[in-house]
Amino acid sequence: MGNKKMTFRGFNTPSLVLIPAAVGINYIGKYFATVLKLPLWLDSIGTVLASILAGPIVGALSGAINNIISGLTVDPVAFIYAITSIAIGLTTGILANKDYFSSFQKAFGAGIIVAVVAAIVSTPINIWFWNGQTGNIWGDALYAFLVAHQHPVWLASFLDEIVVDLPDKIITVIFSYIIFKSLPQKLTYLFSPNNKIETL
Amino acid sequence: MVIYMGPMGLYQSNNSILEKLNPITKLLYIITVIALSIIIPAPQMNLACLLASVTLLIIGRVFWRLIPFIGINITVLISIIVIQGLFMAGNKTLWFQIGSLRFYQEGLCYALNLCLRVFNILCAFAILLLTTKPSDLIESLVEKGLSPKLGYLLCAVLLIIPQLVAAMERVMDSQRSRGLETEGNMAVRIKAYLPLIVPVVLSSLINIKEQSMALEVRGFSSDLKKIFLNQQFSPFYEILIQIGLLTTITLALLRRLFLWLS
Repeated sequence: MGNKKMTFRGFNTPSLVLIPAAVGINYIGKYFATVLKLPLWLDSIGTVLASILAGPIVGALSGAINNIISGLTVDPVAFIYAITSIAIGLTTGILANKDYFSSFQKAFGAGIIVAVVAAIVSTPINIWFWNGQTGNIWGDALYAFLVAHQHPVWLASFLDEIVVDLPDKIITVIFSYIIFKSLPQKLTYLFSPNNKIETL
Repeated sequence: MVIYMGPMGLYQSNNSILEKLNPITKLLYIITVIALSIIIPAPQMNLACLLASVTLLIIGRVFWRLIPFIGINITVLISIIVIQGLFMAGNKTLWFQIGSLRFYQEGLCYALNLCLRVFNILCAFAILLLTTKPSDLIESLVEKGLSPKLGYLLCAVLLIIPQLVAAMERVMDSQRSRGLETEGNMAVRIKAYLPLIVPVVLSSLINIKEQSMALEVRGFSSDLKKIFLNQQFSPFYEILIQIGLLTTITLALLRRLFLWLS
């Protein structure tokens, strides 16, 4: 992605139109995960894909709008987790600019980085809002074990979150990488800020 | 092709008084409740706000629709009550025992207080979300100065999701008819994920080119001032409510400041 300079300036109309599509993809990603009864959320594939295609700012906006819409329609708690979604979009976009999505191994590494960043950002929110718990059965069991053995709440909370985030975000990023690789160049070129196609 | 454009979210029209209020007033109510629970963090304050919200929900005839709304967060709340009651760091006084599980007073009180705070905020939000069409809220925010581009993005999501849900069902049927297994062990189900999602992703990305051209020819990037199709105006009583809510926040802040100084 040779557009490091341009991604931080204004973005073109296709990149803006990509944002609602990304939020939609997040939604169907989660829906298919539920239909297939997968023990993962997979609800940020759109955000990750938008970040790979159009850079960190568009990715962060997709994440923010994703959570604003869930907050407005289904669950207000989603509003505060917008911060996590923004962090996921920013991190993936920056990693994409650093060429992390050129091979499978690198994409796997990107998945681990995104998972750790997401957990670091979510932990203070979890502590503030839920005293560190996540509501996920495995994560909360680990939390209970650690708190019962006199470990500090922040550590228990971070591990509670990362147990859930690590598999989820790695698979999200790898699936997004596979989808990205299967896209025709005609499409990926559309979001590159250097192209002249949409200048009418 | 039939495009399903059903409404999104929990809002249903019922012509109540709350529905006729300006979304900004309801937004201001949420801000007031959250501000009060931060400025005066006593459980009595939360309880008073919760009672006010519940009364408003009953007046708005949406009280029963609160159940699915709270249901989403109920697992984490139950988990908090159990785990804090059993294991919280400051637990000293035994309250009751079920089998070998010892529940402590400090943890349970803490957890119940936390639940009260969450219920309070959720009920305040419920007033807005259960009685306001999401697109109306976005329009009033744009009128108050939110960027029209951002407003478009938010509204576009509300339109795009029902379309994608319809596309999703089509893709699922067609892939199954081609022999895709969507049930079985975990490996089979994970393998089914990409063949389901890729066609929907591709079609929505292909649409982007046409959509952005359509927006461009309608002056989407133009910097001229945008006007509104539906002009909203606030009646006098609505402005009174808004002033009342703002005064409440100010008074609470002043009281806190006064206690802090003395």
